[in-house]
Amino acid sequence: MRTTYLITWLLLSITLMSCIRDEAPNAEADILTCVVPADILKRDPVIENNKVTLMVKADIDLAHQSPEFTLTPGATISPASGTERDFTSPQYYTVTSEDGNWKKEYQVSYIIAGISTEYHFEDVDSVVKTNYTYDVFYDLDEATGNRINWASGNAGFALTGMGSDRTSFPTSSTVDGKVGKGVKLETKETGSFGEGFGMPIAAGNLFMGTFDVLSALTNALKATRLGMPFEHVPTYLKGYYKYKAGEVFQENGEPVKNKKDTWDVYAIFYEVTDKVRYLDGTIVEGNYTHPNLVSVALLDDKDRKETDEWTEFYIPFVMKSGKVIDREKLKSGGYNVSIVFSSSKEGNYFRGAPGSTLYIDEVELIYAADN
Amino acid sequence: MKKNSIAVYICMLVLSLAAVPAFGQADRNQGIIKSALLGLEYEVKAGFNIGGTAPLPLPVEIREITGYNPTMAVAIEGNVTKWFDKERKWGMRIGVRLDNKGMKTDARVKNYGMEIIGDGGEIVKGNWTGHVKTNVKNTYLSFPVLATHQFNSRFSMNLGPYFAYMLDGDFSGNVYDGYLRENDPTGEKVVFEDGKSALYDFSKNIRKFQWGAQLGAEWRAFKHLNVCADLTWGLNDIFQKDFKTITFAMYPIYLNVGFGYAF
Repeated sequence: MRTTYLITWLLLSITLMSCIRDEAPNAEADILTCVVPADILKRDPVIENNKVTLMVKADIDLAHQSPEFTLTPGATISPASGTERDFTSPQYYTVTSEDGNWKKEYQVSYIIAGISTEYHFEDVDSVVKTNYTYDVFYDLDEATGNRINWASGNAGFALTGMGSDRTSFPTSSTVDGKVGKGVKLETKETGSFGEGFGMPIAAGNLFMGTFDVLSALTNALKATRLGMPFEHVPTYLKGYYKYKAGEVFQENGEPVKNKKDTWDVYAIFYEVTDKVRYLDGTIVEGNYTHPNLVSVALLDDKDRKETDEWTEFYIPFVMKSGKVIDREKLKSGGYNVSIVFSSSKEGNYFRGAPGSTLYIDEVELIYAADN
Repeated sequence: MKKNSIAVYICMLVLSLAAVPAFGQADRNQGIIKSALLGLEYEVKAGFNIGGTAPLPLPVEIREITGYNPTMAVAIEGNVTKWFDKERKWGMRIGVRLDNKGMKTDARVKNYGMEIIGDGGEIVKGNWTGHVKTNVKNTYLSFPVLATHQFNSRFSMNLGPYFAYMLDGDFSGNVYDGYLRENDPTGEKVVFEDGKSALYDFSKNIRKFQWGAQLGAEWRAFKHLNVCADLTWGLNDIFQKDFKTITFAMYPIYLNVGFGYAF
């Protein structure tokens, strides 16, 4: 009995052992390591399942970088390892497994390690008039100690007579921020007065700069004067948002079918010259091609989501070609930066859906360390 | 609970075995003689099932088998043979058998479909590369239907299909020393190392009905005592059709070695 048992056991294991088949090609498609010249790195590359992040020094030329990768044995990468690419914005690579059945897309970003200027929107002043009250945001820049004034179109909205308490204005403070208080921007109808001026809606907006009430009713785009002096080179704009589009999209006061409202954020960095003291809302019309612009941070359309969760946006500043920053001029305040938020992307043309609501909080302007 | 139900099945089986001859103690011999005249023969058997619930051929996912234990898997059977000819060369045998088919294996696998149970009891699906321990312990009520041929006064062989109903099933184990790619080979990598392991349990995905082929040999050692060996080869996948986690079919292939008492 025992012998039979033993013999069977042996036979069976031999049978099973002998039919282990040849190993199949690998099904995985991983980037295992990423190699770049060590002297440009501030810390080791961070490799995640579909993302590689390289923290690099501020003075490197992002436009000409050729990172090399090692992969799961047998896997291939496209574009090939070592290909020179422009990393002023993140680049994408596709890794294909050895067996050819699996593909994985990696985002590879070079991030210039920097210091940030943070905006928490905790400090709010009120403008109190007999008929209405509205909020004004200011922020103390911890890095520089400067007071940053945030401008909005509230002063213009006040002229329509539609405003009463602070929440009836397109731009107001909310207690439900991501941390503490935050900003609430809501697209509002402007009533008969605003319509009379061809401005049937007012998007909630907030920007770094000033709002020129005098020209608000005649040329609203020019009324938005963008920019505050900034002594550093901004690299990234980061922050959190929540968004809900309004029900009916309107253009010239008429509903537009099948069009959904969306929000916008952008940031600009530009050179101040004798002729151009500031840039205004019209730069959008020119598709951000104004010659004084040095770099712009524009939101990707796929990142304009409708969400009731605080969602991060993280936008790189992309340098305009041929621009060189004059360090001396930078130190003496010869460059301006501005960040602009709007609850309706086309609100500057008075197109949008009343009720569209954008919440913003914990915004950071990241800039290159000066070395 | 499980133990109890097995005990009940054993009792049932013993009772049905006792009922097969269908005679009281007193006129038992007479009954047997009567049966013998009709060409009927009865036997009870007991033995061990040694084998495995295995894919055939071994799929490429299995890289190495590092451990195997047939476990104590007992089978008890009662059968009746009807001989068709006077010489008792050809006959037909039907039986009822309580089968335990089990094994424990330890294998190294690569890219193996898996559903592990996470810390919070949640099921995490994916592809496992590393080590897998598997415990199989299934209890079946099997009904073999066999053609029997007597080669000489001592040796006979039989062949035919069997049909089985699973009374109780366990297919579970754990994974260790490796990693899981969540959902597919490009998913997040979850590494298990330094003795960390995760359980899995596919028991509820085992098919209730099994069938297969059986080939047996019997050697009459003494007047009433047979030494027997029966190979049962399952022909349908032990898992339900809609169970996709294990990407290949697995079949129970067991050799039953034991003794029989012929009346």
